[in-house]
Amino acid sequence: MTTGNSLPVTADSARPQIHEWNASDQWRVIEFMSDLHLSPLAPATSAAWAAHLQHTDADAVVILGDLFEVWVGDDARCDAFEARCLEVLARTSARCWVGFMAGNRDFLLGESALADAGVTLLPDPTVLCAFGQRVLLTHGDALCLADVEYQRFRAEVRSPAWRAQFLSRSLVERRQLAAAMRDASEQRQRARGRAAYGDIDSAAAAEWSRLARAPVLIHGHTHQPVSEPMTTALTRHVLSDWHHDDGSARGDTLRLSAAGIRRSIARATP
Amino acid sequence: MGTQVDLHTSLGVIGVELDDAKAPVSTANFLKYVRKGHYDGTLFHRVIKGFMIQTGGFDAALKQKLTDAPIANEANNGLTNERYTIAMARTGAPHSATAQFFINAADNAFLNFKSESPQGWGYAVFGKVTSGHEHVDAIEAVRTGRRGLLDDVPVHDVVIVKAVVAE
Repeated sequence: MTTGNSLPVTADSARPQIHEWNASDQWRVIEFMSDLHLSPLAPATSAAWAAHLQHTDADAVVILGDLFEVWVGDDARCDAFEARCLEVLARTSARCWVGFMAGNRDFLLGESALADAGVTLLPDPTVLCAFGQRVLLTHGDALCLADVEYQRFRAEVRSPAWRAQFLSRSLVERRQLAAAMRDASEQRQRARGRAAYGDIDSAAAAEWSRLARAPVLIHGHTHQPVSEPMTTALTRHVLSDWHHDDGSARGDTLRLSAAGIRRSIARATP
Repeated sequence: MGTQVDLHTSLGVIGVELDDAKAPVSTANFLKYVRKGHYDGTLFHRVIKGFMIQTGGFDAALKQKLTDAPIANEANNGLTNERYTIAMARTGAPHSATAQFFINAADNAFLNFKSESPQGWGYAVFGKVTSGHEHVDAIEAVRTGRRGLLDDVPVHDVVIVKAVVAE
């Protein structure tokens, strides 16, 4: 298949640079999570996340984007909430390997803040080679091609020029701008209804999978957890968002081991 | 005598008596959800033979219902998870119970309060079944399987048709 006229994709998303990452052969379990949207306004979610990381038995934890509700630049890491979250990451990375891929909310989380916390930045997309399997990892927003307006916005804010211009503003100004951008985005989503998040484009996902030679895709972003065949050659596992502050106790992890992929669901139990 | 609530399930009416005195927070919370009809149409979504039957969180389409804020854990009130007692379900965080609850189908002493730590808090009992014990047994005995992303879901839906406060 060519990336010609049949695919409604931008040049960027049609032929991404696919980073290859080899897992340590000492590892037995690699755990994935995404879309925690950590914020001081959602204390129960942050607490559940911290408790999870404190107790996980995984050899590696990979966060596939939107760890933070918003990240306005690495100089924000000294603020109380951000500092506490980075401290949780640092404590975790002292026990196991921790990786982070940027999401649409926290793509400004940079290597300096991550390095301080002992976290490795993974490019989007990355193909993970582990246990003899090739698994394609992405946050997911780059594949939501039906949302043309978002893709235009994404291309703009991911450009080095926008980044430099934004980061040159004061921290206070950046927080105000980020809040205004989020409000605009939420208003747009409300206007469009539940389908606002959309889904990833299956043709583009299949093309990424072909380029990566990976029959399995793990992504987040859409907040619609499911494990299902996408095409005859591609199975996808979608992570849930995390939310413990409205009492709904969401927060899946996917665990990759030699036995395959297993979903672990946070839920109310005795 | 504590407040009585009748759970009209698809397998029969289970009467429960709430312990307003020893579990005031859990009882008030439960009654609030009963009175606003939250439990009407909720599925027994997790049934484990010899352990417990759990409900209060999902509709029959296995869609999670929205809840109010979590409540404090009252597991340190002296009530224990004996067979046919009713207790609040929660996530790994001790004070995270909202609407989901379970009825113990066995003496589950390991669910009792031990200490005020994440591992030791246990599960808050707030009442007991006073009638329709046979319907608890019937629900406990249904065949279960995996549905969607959940395990231990009854193969044929068992629902709370209506929960009513017996005034």
